Amino acid sequence: MNNTSVKKRSFIFLAIGWVLLLIGDRVDELVLSQGALVATYALAIASIILLTGYSGQLSLGHGALMAVGAYVAALTTNNLGLPPVIALVLATFTAGIFGLVLGFSVARLSGPYLAGTTLALAVSLPTIANQFEILGGEQGVAFDIGLPPARFGEDFSLYKWFFWICALAALIMIWFISNILASRYGRTFRALRDNPVAASLAGINTGRVKVLAFALSSGVAGLAGGLLVMLISGVSPSAFPLSLSFLLLTGAVVTGVYNLKGVMLGGLILVAIPEIAESVVSRIGGSEGFTVALPGFLVSALLILAVVFTPNGPGHLLHKRKH
Amino acid sequence: MNQFITAVLTSLSSGAIYALMSISLVLVWRSTRVVNFAQAGQAVFTTFIGYEVTIRTGSYWVGLFVAVICGGLVGAIIDRFFMRPIFKRVKSGPIVMIAPVVATLGLLGLIQSVIGFIWGFNYVSIEAPVSTQGYKLFGTVVAFSPFNLMVLIVVTIAMLLLTLLFQKTNIGLALRASAFSPEIARLSGIKVDAVRTLGWAIAGAAGGLAGMLYVPGSYLHPNAMDVLLIFGFIAAVIGGLDSLFGAVAGAMVLGFAINFAASYVSYKLVFTTAFALLIIVLLVKPNGLFSSSKGRKD
Amino acid sequence: MIRNTRMKRLSIVSALVAAGSMLVSSVPALAADPGVTATEIKLGITSPKTGTVALSYGKLPRAMKAYFDYINDNGGVYGRKIKLISRDDKYLPQLAATQTRNLVLSDKVFAIVGALGTATHSKAYVAAQLAKNNVPDLFVNTGFSGFDDKAKYPTTFLVLPSYAMEAKIIAKLIADTPTMKPMPSFLIAQDDEFGKDGVKGFALAGHKFTSNPTLYPQGSLTAALAESLLSGVNAAVPAAAKPVMVLMGTTDSTALILKAAEKLSLTSRFTWIAGSVGGDANTLLALGVKPATIEGAYAASFFPDAKDSTDAYVSQFMKINEKYNKGDSFDNVVLQGMNSAMLTVQSLRAAGKNLTRAGLIKAIESKGAGFASAGLAPLNYSATSRVGYNGYWFGQLNAKGELKPVGGKVTLYTTDSTSTAAPVLSSFTRKPLPKNGIPTNQ
Repeated sequence: MNNTSVKKRSFIFLAIGWVLLLIGDRVDELVLSQGALVATYALAIASIILLTGYSGQLSLGHGALMAVGAYVAALTTNNLGLPPVIALVLATFTAGIFGLVLGFSVARLSGPYLAGTTLALAVSLPTIANQFEILGGEQGVAFDIGLPPARFGEDFSLYKWFFWICALAALIMIWFISNILASRYGRTFRALRDNPVAASLAGINTGRVKVLAFALSSGVAGLAGGLLVMLISGVSPSAFPLSLSFLLLTGAVVTGVYNLKGVMLGGLILVAIPEIAESVVSRIGGSEGFTVALPGFLVSALLILAVVFTPNGPGHLLHKRKH
Repeated sequence: MNQFITAVLTSLSSGAIYALMSISLVLVWRSTRVVNFAQAGQAVFTTFIGYEVTIRTGSYWVGLFVAVICGGLVGAIIDRFFMRPIFKRVKSGPIVMIAPVVATLGLLGLIQSVIGFIWGFNYVSIEAPVSTQGYKLFGTVVAFSPFNLMVLIVVTIAMLLLTLLFQKTNIGLALRASAFSPEIARLSGIKVDAVRTLGWAIAGAAGGLAGMLYVPGSYLHPNAMDVLLIFGFIAAVIGGLDSLFGAVAGAMVLGFAINFAASYVSYKLVFTTAFALLIIVLLVKPNGLFSSSKGRKD
Repeated sequence: MIRNTRMKRLSIVSALVAAGSMLVSSVPALAADPGVTATEIKLGITSPKTGTVALSYGKLPRAMKAYFDYINDNGGVYGRKIKLISRDDKYLPQLAATQTRNLVLSDKVFAIVGALGTATHSKAYVAAQLAKNNVPDLFVNTGFSGFDDKAKYPTTFLVLPSYAMEAKIIAKLIADTPTMKPMPSFLIAQDDEFGKDGVKGFALAGHKFTSNPTLYPQGSLTAALAESLLSGVNAAVPAAAKPVMVLMGTTDSTALILKAAEKLSLTSRFTWIAGSVGGDANTLLALGVKPATIEGAYAASFFPDAKDSTDAYVSQFMKINEKYNKGDSFDNVVLQGMNSAMLTVQSLRAAGKNLTRAGLIKAIESKGAGFASAGLAPLNYSATSRVGYNGYWFGQLNAKGELKPVGGKVTLYTTDSTSTAAPVLSSFTRKPLPKNGIPTNQ
């Protein structure tokens, strides 16, 4: 990794941040709150891409890893009175450590075995919250970070504050990931993904690399989980249904599973599709069954179209066109 | 004692249903190396067809027959007109590993939405063809009814038929050969594509059967079999994904673990037990209990 | 490397363009309160339209809309027509938060009415900043007593009696009925605020169950679990006794437990008490529970029986349902939806022609207790209380699913959610039905 590329990358991220800041001042509350969700989804998608696209491990249970971060963020804020930013950092690290442990236990698994294990994790982990009083059961735990700091002024709204936090967290984290991927570790990840046998012949400790990727991905997912429950003001088991894990996988595939650059687009699509479906439904009407099922239909259709037509992501398609 | 007997019997009857789901997943896995998440949707869809037939003809058995046939047809159609084109398009890169899973997940959503379009989201139930009143054993009624017995018998017959098909017929030989080594099978003149489609069809039929046997004890709605799919998958992974026997054994182990944990420890432990069992099995044998001796790399 | 950078730029630009396309041109409205014009009042509701909860409550928004349509056809409220926007939250907190926020920010509704679900709406309320924007949150469809907290939910008005009240009154029913009092008693409840509020109520009433209440996570009760649960209880209790079995869960779970009892021939082994949520006879029968099973089961209600067409309110609502909501059969949920809609119309009228959010909340606080409603229990709105109905009467279901009052006459008890005070016999008589069911707030 040379210094110029790091500088260039940092510059690009700063530029994006500046543009987002400008946008944030010029849009209404609705768009700000949607923007915060876009950033959160983008971050969650990045965590899947890091794992699946770059180290070749398929996880169907990222919702569970997000739940770990979410509970840590909420509990440390409520019980230890930590400032939300510290709580989110803690959420990231705790989820990362959780991922490390999990990664060690599943390092020998591959393909469908790993998929099955992560799927089982996604359905079982949130139900553990029902076992322990401190986790608040089905109702869960509130996560209210309070009003934005007074120094931002009177008309600095909560949604803007959320947007700032989420966008900033996503930018910093994705900047960090893209630096890792450009480094020696990124190259070993890719070697492992493209040809595990050759990688281990070349002296790469595949087990260790897999665990590392799992831990990193898990940490990022934990942060995204913390942000997500900040947006809905509380965490509960039902905030992390299996459908969330699948939705994020959809986002990753639509973005292109080995293309970190498209995550913002992925997040945008996940937020926009239900809105589009709702507006279509409200325009054409139809039976209750139709109106209720249409959003799911559109998301699924998009997923299938993405797999069939741009299996390697829209970026890849553009890339091919240019040749 | 009574609690023990009840736990054993309910484990058996829920294990039998898991077994059908895990078999249908294993059949697809063996023939095309795909974990077919759409199976939950396919099974509900065909069970809805069976439900319509049952209502119109007044006979559960006609409904069951039609559901099994339709399940087979739907499976074959999905393989021929959905999975195969995707495999043709997606050939290289790491996406090959992910694309089928994602495609079947997408298909699951699509099928469930279509079921919602047609039948809505209300719960319906299918009346069982035989009594659901529990048998009397040692003076008390146990949670095992003629219907549960019927489920066990039907599942056993289905297993026997499948075993015969695989062990004693040329089709079975072709199915096993294509699963074991498609290239060699192709060289020896087996129409590998047709055989794969057959694998999907049998799996679809098993799913339809599972639905028709499950719903009389529960309800039918678009998401009715999501949980069964998860348990079926866990059972298949425990059993090693490749082995039909493993699928059944895995399902029974899972059925017993879940029901015993629930009745002796806590009702909240259903999913946690399934996860713990899976992790323990995979830590000891990363390729499941009954997979072929050689570890799978894919 | 060059190509890479270009690619990166390209994708960044495309992402930004996409982001920009979301910038809907909109100027923050500085007018009075959103959602009210000279001709229209926009209201919003979030509720699940799929899944186990939708099974019973899917009809609710449609029933509310039917009543609003009826009022609109009869002149609306001071000339304004009511438009109800209904959004699906699938009983997921994140969707509830997003959809409630969409109602406020995108649909720009004047108020939320009839939002359903405890775990979902309690989060959505904070996430959508209903308090900060002073959005009235009327007649929430949850019996969680925690919503009665003016500091946390300053714009929320409850309508259902709380689960804690229900539990206290069930405890009284058990204590007052000689055939139940000496018997062992058991509670099977949903493991969320529903069940926990119920457990709290029984504790307040000083009722001790024979064994610890069985709490199961919502939606995860299976037939096998229900069977082993009942056979466990059956084995533990001497054959001579007829234990009391209290069920506090959604209708589908109640149905599973009753079906398990059928399978085990235990339907007449227990005295069944189904809570107001799970005791919805129509849905139980539709889910395949045998009529003989529910016959004699105790269930709670604060309304007249939804099948009693001699009741003035019920028969009027039936007529409206027939004309404006043809697809749905009339039951408790439709009755509840129309009644909430009727309360909403009275609230809007009480707030006067110059409709504001603050004015609406004030109007309910000052006049809400006097609204005409189908409920047989009093409404308890005041400057300090956000509690709606606070009582229940008990009846026994017959095979047709009709709820017949115990002792032949409706005996309604009222109570609260927080004290150990025993429920008291209510002498409340409700206001007569406004002419044709169109409130005039007289």
